[in-house]
Formats: sequence, C-alpha cells, structure tokens
Amino acid sequence: MLRAETLKLTTIPVTKIAVLIAALGLLATQLISTVLMPYLVNSETTDPEVASELPVIDMTLASEQLAVLNLLGGSGSIGVVLIAVILLGVLAGISDFRFGGMVGTALAQPRRERIVLAKTGATALIGAATGLILAALSVTALLLALVLDGTALSATLPEILGTLGRGVLAITFLSLIGLAVGLLLRNQLTAVLVMLAVLVLEPILLGIIQLATGTLPIWAQLMPNTLAHALINAPTALTGAAATGALTALTALLLTGAALTLKRRSL
Amino acid sequence: MTKQEIEPLLVEHLSKSFRGVRRVEDVSFTVGAGRITGLLGPNGAGKTTTIRMLLGLIAPDAGNALVFGKPFRDLSDPTRVVGAVLDAGGLHPGRTARQHLRIAAAQGHHTAARVEEVLTIVGLSADADRRIRDYSLGMRQRVAIAAAILGDPKILVLDEPANGLDPAGIYWLKKYLRSFADHGGSVLLSSHILADVEQIADDIVAIADGQVRSATTLAEALAASEGDLEDFYLSMISSSEISSFERTTHAAR
Repeated sequence: MLRAETLKLTTIPVTKIAVLIAALGLLATQLISTVLMPYLVNSETTDPEVASELPVIDMTLASEQLAVLNLLGGSGSIGVVLIAVILLGVLAGISDFRFGGMVGTALAQPRRERIVLAKTGATALIGAATGLILAALSVTALLLALVLDGTALSATLPEILGTLGRGVLAITFLSLIGLAVGLLLRNQLTAVLVMLAVLVLEPILLGIIQLATGTLPIWAQLMPNTLAHALINAPTALTGAAATGALTALTALLLTGAALTLKRRSL
Repeated sequence: MTKQEIEPLLVEHLSKSFRGVRRVEDVSFTVGAGRITGLLGPNGAGKTTTIRMLLGLIAPDAGNALVFGKPFRDLSDPTRVVGAVLDAGGLHPGRTARQHLRIAAAQGHHTAARVEEVLTIVGLSADADRRIRDYSLGMRQRVAIAAAILGDPKILVLDEPANGLDPAGIYWLKKYLRSFADHGGSVLLSSHILADVEQIADDIVAIADGQVRSATTLAEALAASEGDLEDFYLSMISSSEISSFERTTHAAR
C-alpha cells in the first residue's frame, strides 16, 4: 500500500509542480538576499540613499551563512517554500477524493486507518525527498554567494548538517500537516483556502497577541509555521527536540483525526 | 450449510437512510457461483447504495452484506476475491492507463506482468501510455474494468459497466462476463439496459424505492411476462414512479 501511495504521488503533475515551485522559491529567496542585495548595495549605479536602506548580509558570519541554509527562507516568514510544501501535502490528501480514487483504494484496503498510514508514509517520503532537494539547492546558493563575495565558509560542518537536517524534518512535518488537512476537508478549494488562511493569519494573530499581552501563550507557539521555524532555528539540541516533539504531536493529532473521519465516511 | 455451499454474495435485510430519508429498506438477495445477477431499477432506486454497502464503502444502518460468508472489510486479500467497477473508476485524468493500473496492482500486490495481461484483455495495450484525460468514456470504462479484473477475482460487481462503451465494447463485455461466470465466477451487474441484461443474466433482482420488488431467475421473469423483460421490469418497479412519469407527460401536453 505504501508503494501504491508513493506511485500515486509521483504520477500526478501537481506533485512535480509543487516541488518545482518550492525549489524556485527557495533559490529566488536565497539568491536575492545573498547575491542581488549585496550587488545592489555595492553597485555604483545604485542611489546611495536607496543602497543605505537595503538590508546587508554579512556573509563572513557563520550565523548568516546558516540563515541561507534555512529551507523555509527567512525566520518566521510565510515564504513560497512553506506554501508550496503545505500545498503538496494538501493536494496529496485531496486528489484521491477529487477523482474518486479513494473508492479503489478502500476496495483494495478496507481498513481505512491503514490507508491513512500508507498515505502518511508516502507523503513523508516525498516531503523528505523535497527537503533533500531544497537542501542541495540551498547549499549551492550558499557556495555561490560565498564565491561571489570572496568569503570563506565559517559555519562548521555539524552546524550545516544540523540546520539542513532540521530543515528536511520541518518540510516533512509540514507536508504531513497539509496531508491531514486535505484528508479532513476533502474539497480542494476549501482545503487550500483554509491552509492559506491559517498560514497568513498565524503571524498576524501572533503579532496581535504579543502586542496585547506582551507575551505568547503556549497554544500560540504550537502553530505549524511557528513550530517549523522554531525547529530549524533551534539554538540547542533541547529546543530542537522540544520543537520536534510538538510538531510530532500536532501532526499525529491531525492525522488521527483524518483517520477517524475517513473511517466513518461513506465513500 | 457447508463451507463449499457458502454463497459468494449474500445480502440480508440491508437498510440505509441518509439524513432521515430511507434509501434502502430491508434489501435481501444472493448471487450464486457461476451466476450473473442483474440488479435492475430506476434512478434513485437504491442500487448503488446497496452495492456500496456490499463493498464496505457505506456502513448499513441494519442488515448484513457478506462475501463468501464474511463482511467485505474482513477479507484478507479483497482484490483477489472481488473486482468492482463503480462510477468512472476513480481515474485521475493526469495519469496514463498503465500508471493507473500499476497503482492498482501495487494496492493489491499484483505483478507488473498482470498489468500488461489485463491491458491486452481489455484491448488497451496500444493506448496504455496516453493520459486518461485524452480517453473516450468507453476507453475509461475499459481501464476501470481492467483494474477490476487485475486480481483475477472470483466475483465481479459492476455498476453500469456499459456506460460509454461502443457496441463492440458492450459485445466484448457481455462475452467476457458470460465466460467469467461459466468458469465459476459470480457477477452482480447493475444496469439500465434491459436488453443487455436479458442477454447475459441468469438471475434478476428488481429494486425500486429502496426495496426489492422481485428476486428471481431470468427464465421465471420472462415466463411471467410472456418473454418481455421490459414488461416484467415495469410491472415490478414502483407504480407510483410510472404514475409520476405519466402525470409529468400529461402536464407537459
């Protein structure tokens, strides 16, 4: 069943399109911040006033080099990669409902919780593979930026691998959250709109709460985007483990809900 | 009853309501080994709901539907027991027929060689790598039939399988189903085309308003209606439906 679900994802154009958009989004984001911005700042043709307003990344700093390896782009932002990866999962969840494939799946595997399990495994595989592609691209973008800047690599190999590994993990979790939402809502337009609304409203909501209360309640820190960025930017192994645990719990909760709903649903 | 005598398909007192409206009420029938059973009835009669309950896709409010004595969900290897064609077969327009069948094969643990076999059986080998969005309705139906027979099942459950098939396709399907039953297989066939059912069915289950109006052999049905299955069918389905049609026709005049 895992093989069948993986085949389903690799034989529909939307998966390839989502991965392509994520890859192009990441490349564009990283190259703009590490190549285009420094070029504009240093260019003689740029108005000095404008140049002074542009953000400057000090590529000699290890922290800035690691920031380039953030697979979701800037800290806490809603980037193209985040949206593409979540939509990858959402579309993986709804495509079977949209075209009636869920009936054939249920006829081959009447125990529907196993269908959700297989879909989870397949989406995790595709999500992780997408994360690895994005990791390779971000390393390429970093090396290109360093060469153009004439700067040496100052981040250590464990730091680089840790950042990339946490990025791949975050991408995998986000695709699974998308899958659960797709399975729960079934309708493509509804699922996409709900997911986009959650992603767009999340930082706004958090900003309002922080402004109003001066702090963030625990539940506000358990939103998918916040957790994914917390995982990638985790300063210590302990905070990384806590973010992983929270993302695992959130994903498991949503997927369990999806499995229970599918089990009771008439097909 | 010994193990050998267990009916391939047994439907007992099935009932189902949706939002308080009774769609299927106390439906019972059997499909024997080596028999083709035609499930006949007007639109909305409850045929599809009955088939879906039989296949574990809809939970009944009451009654049982058993496949070789077991609920469908308890079958350990369902695609080798039951092959089904429902709706448009759940075909993703962006996939090719070969991709669709390879996925179905992976779901049922069937080999890639079997995919090529069923493509040959349904006559789609030459077009197997075209996207399904470019297929005619009849070709899509052939893909759905190919998926149903992938596991070389003992039972076929087909909901309007002739939809979209051209005359040659319908002829092929009837020959295939007859041969399937003659080799001991069981077929439950829902159809609106009485002439086709008359040519291949052994048994008839007429259903209307969610209730079985008649479950008999084709021979008995024909004997009871001077050899006219249409007469038999119309006499069995709800008289209220015919009256409603007549009222509509009268009003239109």
